[in-house]
Amino acid sequence: MKIFIKLIGPFINQLGFSEKTFEFPDEVTVEKVLSSLPIDPLRPKIVTRNGQAVATGEKLKNGDRLAISPLYSGG
Amino acid sequence: MFGWTGNILRINLTKRTHKKETFDEKFALKWVGGRGFALKILWDELKPGIDPLGPENKLIVAVGPIAGIPAPNTGKTVVAAKSPLTGGYGDGNLGTRVTEQMRKAGYDIIIVEGKSDRPVYLYIEDDKIEYLSADEVWGKGTYETHDWLYKKYGKGAGILSIGQGGENLNLYAMVRSLEGRAGGRPGIGAVMGSKKLKAIVIKGSKPIPVAEPEGMRQLGLDDLRKVGEIDKKTGWSIQGTTGVLAWCNEVAALPVRNMRKTHHPDAWKIDGERLNNARVATYGCPNCTMRCGITIIDHEGRESELDYENIGLLGSNLEIFELDQVASLNYLCDDYGLDTISSGAVLGFYADAIDQGAIKGDFKFGDVEKAKELLRLAALRKGEIGNLLADGTMRMAKRIGHGSEAYAMHVKGLEISAYNCKFIPGMALAFGTSPIGAHHKESWVITFELKQTQRDSYGPEKAAKVIELQRIRGGLFEFIVACRFPWIELGWPVENYATYFNKVTGLSWTVNDFWKVADRIYALMKFFWVREFPDWNRTKDYPPKVWFDPANADTDGPIAGKVLELDKYDQLLDYYYEQRGWDKRGIPTRKTAESLDLRQEAAEVEKFTRLE
Repeated sequence: MKIFIKLIGPFINQLGFSEKTFEFPDEVTVEKVLSSLPIDPLRPKIVTRNGQAVATGEKLKNGDRLAISPLYSGG
Repeated sequence: MFGWTGNILRINLTKRTHKKETFDEKFALKWVGGRGFALKILWDELKPGIDPLGPENKLIVAVGPIAGIPAPNTGKTVVAAKSPLTGGYGDGNLGTRVTEQMRKAGYDIIIVEGKSDRPVYLYIEDDKIEYLSADEVWGKGTYETHDWLYKKYGKGAGILSIGQGGENLNLYAMVRSLEGRAGGRPGIGAVMGSKKLKAIVIKGSKPIPVAEPEGMRQLGLDDLRKVGEIDKKTGWSIQGTTGVLAWCNEVAALPVRNMRKTHHPDAWKIDGERLNNARVATYGCPNCTMRCGITIIDHEGRESELDYENIGLLGSNLEIFELDQVASLNYLCDDYGLDTISSGAVLGFYADAIDQGAIKGDFKFGDVEKAKELLRLAALRKGEIGNLLADGTMRMAKRIGHGSEAYAMHVKGLEISAYNCKFIPGMALAFGTSPIGAHHKESWVITFELKQTQRDSYGPEKAAKVIELQRIRGGLFEFIVACRFPWIELGWPVENYATYFNKVTGLSWTVNDFWKVADRIYALMKFFWVREFPDWNRTKDYPPKVWFDPANADTDGPIAGKVLELDKYDQLLDYYYEQRGWDKRGIPTRKTAESLDLRQEAAEVEKFTRLE
């Protein structure tokens, strides 16, 4: 299934893209998607799915949009 | 005393006289510096009810004990006065060379009283104070003013200035410094203008008294280097504060169309990625190794330093999605010396009021050329429209009527900064309880709300988080005076500021000592409001009605159909008051005041209203 990934902030420079569609097998979780990307697992971050906060164990659906952002704090 | 110089420079512009006064250790330990000093002096010395634009108001420039000493982000200064925009206590802080220079000149506090009979600027060099004609730059913008002053005094001088906005008493006129730094949102620039004070220039040559000078110097320089390394590793300053724009658009928190909408398909055109790609320079405050002043060329070919608030309020909030044009509006605000947040909110409200039929006019969302013209009119107070816009959204709505007060996006008269909280309860509380009027600098809880709680909850944990952050953001960093960015964006431990404080002062404070000072300052800021507005009630801590209006809910996106609920917000506000030890009106109780060593101040407030 297709998952659209939007990166926010310095993740764009670190991973080399701003937004991209990826193919994943059915029943993929947020955690699986994160671990497929070269993002430091220890780096504080917030992941949203279609604009809503999402737990890492949640299973995604075809066409979901995942935004992965460092943990901004309002400056 | 170490850390503090212990000196106050008191200047009277009416008489053109000055004197050096001192403060003792008791005052220093109780109020620490910056916001604490400014607040206590204004509380003690201003009679309630004075005209903020009259000669009885006082401009305070204040720093804290670590200010100006090389250490993470200690290049900031607080400017304060009774606010002409809100009528309450008002302040701001800005990055400036004034911080170090005033400390080296031997002052922690500068008080400016009275009013000059003609345009003047102050030149302060150690014990020498000169009152010099500002005729040549009166009527000029801050950029030309700074260039003129740099030619006279050199680029190392500390300079605070105002533009035409402050001169013409625009109520959201700011104080400016450096390439694009500004502070004093609640009209502190207008207070300077009311005194015909165009600028303060300061140079100093004395040592700053430090308890452990070598230890602090080495630690400060090491830590500055470490902060720089963390920034490089995390990449924060690649987009700086503007990285959050794409995220706000994603989670429906972006100010769009006078905050009627929360996201926009064109937001990507003005996001941090585009800004970084267009970067021509990076500026920053003194003593900073994570510079956030991303600078691009604006539509007219000028350098314009942009951060998130500028782009949020002058860009998406006005539905202007050309980055170079947003930069032009930002440049104009900086040059006129107008707060970009309030300017964007004022223009957004004006366009909205016209759209709603509440007032006749020809300004539409997206019309950048008209926006430039309106900023000029507002800065110069030119004509009926200029005077209307120059007064801010609270007064505009009173004059316009027709229900426009519901969508005038301010709290207590200060326009809301770039987070659209129509469905973010905790952040709405943060804006509602910000002590100078709506400002995110006091507390910012959006990622906490989304990640660690539920967006739609109004539970006590959200009130607790708002208070926890107010103690640090609106407390510690405003009275010790330092920029909070290393802590808040890079995870620099807040305990390190206790270490700097102790090395500089020779004391042994912990962060808990800081929180008590913070709570004291927040209680006294509320007392300041109550003394000015004795009929104080909790509705003054409410965000705008439009955020509670189901007719204003998003029709698409992640929060479609949702808005804040007033009865639940009231419960959240009660949690906040309970946790602060304030009564249901939002006023500190007598017991709370006594626990914070505010007995005298409580007795004064009781002349105006009862304390529970």
